[in-house]
Formats: sequence, structure tokens, C-alpha cells
Amino acid sequence: TLCMAYKHLTSKEYEEIDRRLFEARTALQQREEKLAHVFQFIEKDLILLGATAVEDRLQDRVRETIEALRMAGIKVWVLTGDKHETAVSVSLSCGHFHRTMNILELVNQKSDGECAEQLRQLARRIKEDHVIQHGLVVDGTSLSLALREHEKLFMEVCRNCSAVLCCRMAPLQKAKVIRLIKISPEKPITLAVGDGANDVSMIQEAHVGIGIMGKEGRQAARNSDYAIARFKFLSKLLFVHGHFYYIRIATLVQYFFYKNVCFITPQFLYQFYCLFSQQTLYDSVYLTLYNICFTSLPILIYSLLEQHIDPHVLQSKPTLYRDISKNRQLSIKTFLYWTILGFSHAFIFFFGSYFLIGKDISLLGNGQMFGNWTFGTLVFTVMVITVTVKMALETHFWTWINHLVTWGSIIFYFIFSLFYGGILWPFLGSQNMYFVFIQLLSSGSAWFAIILMVVTCLFLDIVKKVFDRQLHPTNTEKAQLTET
Amino acid sequence: MAMNYNAKDEVDGGPQCPPGGPAKNRRPDNTAFKQQRLPAWQPILTAGTVLPTFFIIGLIFIPIGIGIFVTSNNIREIEIDYTGTDPSSPCNKCLSPNATPCYCTINFTLEQSFEGNVFMYYGLSNFYQNHRRYVKSRDDSQLNGDSSALLNPSKECEPYRRNEDKPIAPCGAIANSMFNDTLELFLVGNESYPTPIPLKKKGIAWWTDKNVKFRNPSGGESLKERFKGTTKPVNWVKPVYMLDSEPDNNGFINEDFIVWMRTAALPTFRKLYRLIERKSDLHPTLPAGRYYLNITYNYPVHSFDGRKRMILSTISWMGGKNPFLGIAYIAIGSISFLLGVVLLVINHKYRNSSNTADITI
Repeated sequence: TLCMAYKHLTSKEYEEIDRRLFEARTALQQREEKLAHVFQFIEKDLILLGATAVEDRLQDRVRETIEALRMAGIKVWVLTGDKHETAVSVSLSCGHFHRTMNILELVNQKSDGECAEQLRQLARRIKEDHVIQHGLVVDGTSLSLALREHEKLFMEVCRNCSAVLCCRMAPLQKAKVIRLIKISPEKPITLAVGDGANDVSMIQEAHVGIGIMGKEGRQAARNSDYAIARFKFLSKLLFVHGHFYYIRIATLVQYFFYKNVCFITPQFLYQFYCLFSQQTLYDSVYLTLYNICFTSLPILIYSLLEQHIDPHVLQSKPTLYRDISKNRQLSIKTFLYWTILGFSHAFIFFFGSYFLIGKDISLLGNGQMFGNWTFGTLVFTVMVITVTVKMALETHFWTWINHLVTWGSIIFYFIFSLFYGGILWPFLGSQNMYFVFIQLLSSGSAWFAIILMVVTCLFLDIVKKVFDRQLHPTNTEKAQLTET
Repeated sequence: MAMNYNAKDEVDGGPQCPPGGPAKNRRPDNTAFKQQRLPAWQPILTAGTVLPTFFIIGLIFIPIGIGIFVTSNNIREIEIDYTGTDPSSPCNKCLSPNATPCYCTINFTLEQSFEGNVFMYYGLSNFYQNHRRYVKSRDDSQLNGDSSALLNPSKECEPYRRNEDKPIAPCGAIANSMFNDTLELFLVGNESYPTPIPLKKKGIAWWTDKNVKFRNPSGGESLKERFKGTTKPVNWVKPVYMLDSEPDNNGFINEDFIVWMRTAALPTFRKLYRLIERKSDLHPTLPAGRYYLNITYNYPVHSFDGRKRMILSTISWMGGKNPFLGIAYIAIGSISFLLGVVLLVINHKYRNSSNTADITI
């Protein structure tokens, strides 16, 4: 804000002013004080014309975005370099502070003791009043005092406030605040949004830095992890894209561990029956191609295309974001579920095949016997089919590509095996797998066993999913139901 | 730069283009694939969709299980252990034989007659044909009749590769440990002398093994000439070209040899020995009655606590006697049906609360 004023000067007064200014400007010592003295002499008896103000308009839909962030369970802090009054009024107008909130202040603290006393008082006020929501305003100097000695107390106060506003922040202080939050006991994930060059250190310090390409240039955008054009795009970025990516990556990681547990555990179990001599259950070509050729495409396409809920629903219901908070899908509980599932499937594959063969009875209609490679191929076939169909069970969004890679992987496995065992390859040293797969497929018992084992494995999983959805549906699952 | 400042450019996210230059648009294509708007089917695994599946699985699996179980029960099987560790067993004298070969005879009775084709197996226990060093101890190119491999077997066959400065054919530990007991079956009928049961030795190995994978080396007229320059495996009595008198069951393509070379998966296994074909008239192949088994006891298993046995079994379309498959199908079918019922009850009870779809904030 500026105020405009004027006064008339006679030429004599002007010459006086000119002379004094010249002296002050060319003084060799104490130039600053002399200049200030002269300006004070000049700026007297002015007539006020008016005041100017510059309004920095809020971008559109900022209010809705902040409201959505709050509904998603994300704590919003505003860190600004503006002064106290400006910051508070901007906060109120953009929905960061409600009119019904009780605003606590930690400003203009001059000494350490004063700051500590004020903090304790704020903590007491928060404890007394549970019903109303609290907001906190801190300014730069008080913040540095608080951070120097009373970090814990300060964080305690902050944690209980639903909105925090830090004004008069220097750029490095913004980064310091983010650092403080990052190392606080709950270790929350921080995201920093900024549009100016003074936000760069904050953007780089936070876990996720987002720069808004704005009128203040491209510095923030250049230094950020993600750049968006308007603040309102943050809601789609987080609630749609962020949510999708999280679900995709979490499932990718869990599925990868699961399918490798399924893969290796039968090998391990076989050792108990071959004197621990490290005889492989599966042929070495199968060992090599399992992860690359037979089971890689379905999960790849899943992690590129999966949309477990329609994007419009996600954007209109920010509370769905809470379903993935605290890294829920990669927590110990979920990991244990996938791993135990993998182990139980592997046990079913191996022991199902083991009891089927039993005392090594014949499984062919002509009484001839299978060997160890046929046994291993049986386990492997059941495994490839089961892990692929498990992926199919996890997929909610079936495009034509998903169909192609899922069923195509199984068909490719069959075609490859037929091809591989179909002829005597001249460059291979040992012809262990010659005709093994075709012999396996010509046994009626083997087919029945494959179907039985695949159904048994996935049966448990389907039962668990359906019971969970029936008895304790999560918000996400309820949302999935509404749109159909 | 004050000129040409256009707020719209900022929104689009494209770089500031110099006035008059070509517009370089980095915006991704607005296709369905790149914007992830592909049409898709979105199934949801609710109780309503899954319930019929559970019932269907139950209804399909239980009859299949019953059918398989009944088929398996109709298969006749008998096992005769002839290791001879028990002092009262007739084959006990063969454990430390005075003279090789040792002969012993075991009597047994068939309670029920065996119809259709009967298959005679020999079974071994505690014999780890699936040990890694054992499994790789073979040379498939030599067994395929490759002449260079015949005289220079692969290193995998060590230490059964050369003997007395000559290459061993067939090389390796698998070939060396070939089963060499001879079993003969006699029916003690009404007449005083017993009738021998005709045992067919062709058709016991996989057709592809006998005709493609295992080939005798090419060369001269007689098989003995083709194997010139090689020696028999260490533990064999006769060389490989004297395994059988018939030329199409001699050498590497001897079916007993081929059956032995297919390593078993587990330490207790059986291998097909002979076929007893069904008779053309309506008599059962093996009528109920007393039989005796003549054994030429050559194969020593006592040193590693192994056991030997002879198995007679009929075969159905699903192979040998296997109650496991039938029982497993019945079990899974009933569990599925049961869970379907439970799910139906739960679905009915929670029908009201599960259908409201509002989300609490």
C-alpha cells in the first residue's frame, strides 16, 4: 500500500531542500543518518491525496481446493513472506481459516522466555477447549526463537491445530519448517506448493515439491518435482493421479513379491525330497523365463492402466483419499497378507502335485510313468496359471489390452512349452524336456489336478475378498458400488 | 518482457514462443490411450456375483469327485515287497548270496480277479533318483546315437565316463545303476503245474523316447560292431548290445533301459516293467487265486535301507489307483457349497446396511 500526498514549494524552499540534500548525499560520514534527517525535514505538512492498494487476486477455486484437501485428511499449512495482517486476511478469504475457528497467535516474541511462556499458554488453551477448531499464526522471528529451544512444545501446539499460518517467513525458514515436520515423530509425508523463487528451498526440502507456473516466473516450476499451471489442478493431481499411482505401485510391489514367493517356495520344498542336493524342480529355461516372459506383462499393464474407481468420483469425493493414508497398502499387515497368500499357494501347488503323484502312481491312460521333469512342469503350469488369474482378480479396469496380456500370457506359456518340448534342440546339451509337456497334457488326471489346484488357491482369496467387502466395506469399495 | 505477454500461454503451459515463430506444442495427444480414457469393463466382486459361482463350483465338483473316486476304487492293485529283510521272507537268503544269481520265490493270493489290461511295475523306496548329481549324470547326445559322443562322452558322466581306458556306453550314474532284477509270474491253477503268465515287454516306455530321443549309433551290420571301442558300464553284467535278443529292443532302444533312464520325481517310485494283455475271450486277465513270483534277485538295495516291491495294477483313463483326486474334488466342492450357503445367510442379514453407499466424513 502507498499513500499519495502533495505540498507546494516556493523556489526558496526548493533551493534550501536541494542544498541540504546535496550536503547529505555527499557527506563522507554518517550519510544514512544525515539523509534520513533531511527527508524528515522535507516530508512535513503534506496534504493527503489518497492511498493505493494492490490486490493480488486469488486464483479461482482455491477455496474449494483447500476444502478438499482438508476433507482428504491433509493438514494444510500456509507459509508466506507477507506481514501478519495480510496473511491472516488472505487465509480467511481462501478458506484456510474458518470464521468459526479460534485463532491463536505466536507473534512478536522478543525473547526466548517470553516465547516459551506464550507457547505454554497456547497449549493450555488448546487443552481446555476441545470442541472448537484452533488455528495458529506464527511469524518468522517468533518461529526461529521457538525452533531454537522449544521444538517439542511448538510441534505439540501445531499438531493440535487444524490450520497453521506462518507469516513473515524468510525462504530458508520455510525450508526449516518443512524439515521440522519431516522429522517429527509421526514422520508425515510433506508436500510443498509454491509459485515464486522464494519458495524454491521449501519445494526442494519437502518430500513432494510442486511448482505453480505463475506470474512470478518459472523458478519454482523448474525446481519442483511436478509443475502445474493453476492451484486448482492440485486436487486432480493428488486425488486422481496420486491415488491411481499409489494403488498401482503398491499392488505392483506386493504382487511381485507374491509371485516370486509362489515361484521359489516349491523349489525349496522339493529339496526335502531330493536329499537337499539342490536339484531344481523346474527346467532351467522355465526358471529364466518365468519372471520375464510368462508373468511380466499382466502386472505391467495393470500398473499403467488400472483405475479402481472412476476419476470423476475420486475428484468429487476427496475423503476417498484417506483410504490410502499412512501408506496403508504397503503396511506390514498388507505385506503379510500377500506373503502368507504366496506361501499357502505354493504349498497347495507343491503338495497338491505331490499327493496326486502319491507313491508315484501312473497318471497316464497307458500305465506309463512320469519322471521328475513332468512333476516339476505340473507344478510350474499350475503356478503360472494361478498367479496370472490372481492378477486378473486384482484388476478392476479391464481394457482390451488387459484381456490381451492376461489371457495371452497363459496362452503364450502353453504355446512356448509345446514348442520348446516339441523337438530335440541341437544346441542344448541335455534334452530333459523333450515331449514332457505334451505327455503332461495328455493325462486326464493332470488336467483335473490343474483345475482343482487353481480353483482351490483362488477360492480362498475370493472368499476373503467377498467377506471383507460384505462385512467391512471400505469407503473405496462403497464408492465402487455406487457408480455401477 | 512486456510485449506479447499473454496469460493464456501461461495456462497452456507451453514455452513463450518468440513473436512470429512456429508454435511448439508439447501438449500430449488427446487420444483415448494417452489420456487413459480407454473403454473398459469394470467388474466388482460382490456377494451377488460370487454366490452363484460358489454354488456352481459345488454342484460341478462334487459329482466329478464322486465319479473319480468311484473310478479309482474300481482299480485293483496289489503290492508285494520282496526286499527280504525279514528273516522269514523267502528272499532273505539273497541279501548275502552264496552264489550269484540268487533266485527266490514269493507266494501271494489275489482276492479279486483283475480285468482288462494288467500292468506290472517294480517299485523302489529310499532310492533318490532325483539327486542333482545323479540326474545330470547322463549324455543325451550319446543316447541319441551321435557317433562323436559315443566315443567321447560328456563330462557330466564323471566318474562313470571311462573305464579301462575306453569310453563307457551308456555313460553316467543313471545308466550304471540300472535295475536288473527279473520277475516272472505264475498262476497256481487247478492242475498240478503252474501256468506262466505271458508278460509283454514292448510298450512300456514313452513312444517318443523309444523312437526319437534314444537311437542306436549308426554303422555296421550288427549292434556289437556299432558299439566298437566302448565298454559296458561298471556295474552291468552284460554290455548294452546284449540287453535283448530282439534287434528292435536292443542297445540304447531297449525299453527297460529307457524306462530306467527317465528319472523319478520322488524317492519312492515305481516303474513300468511288463504288460499283461487282456485275453480275447471273456476270462479275466488274472483270475482270483494263488500266484507265485519268481525273482532273480540281482539288484542290491539293502546297503542304503532301500526296499523293492512288485506291483500289479489295472489302469483306468486317469491312471493308477488314486483316491486323493476324488476326495479332494469332493472336499473342495462341499466347502464351496457350504461357503455359498454361509454367504447367502450373511448377505441376507446385512442386506440393509450394505446397500447404503454414503460415505462418512
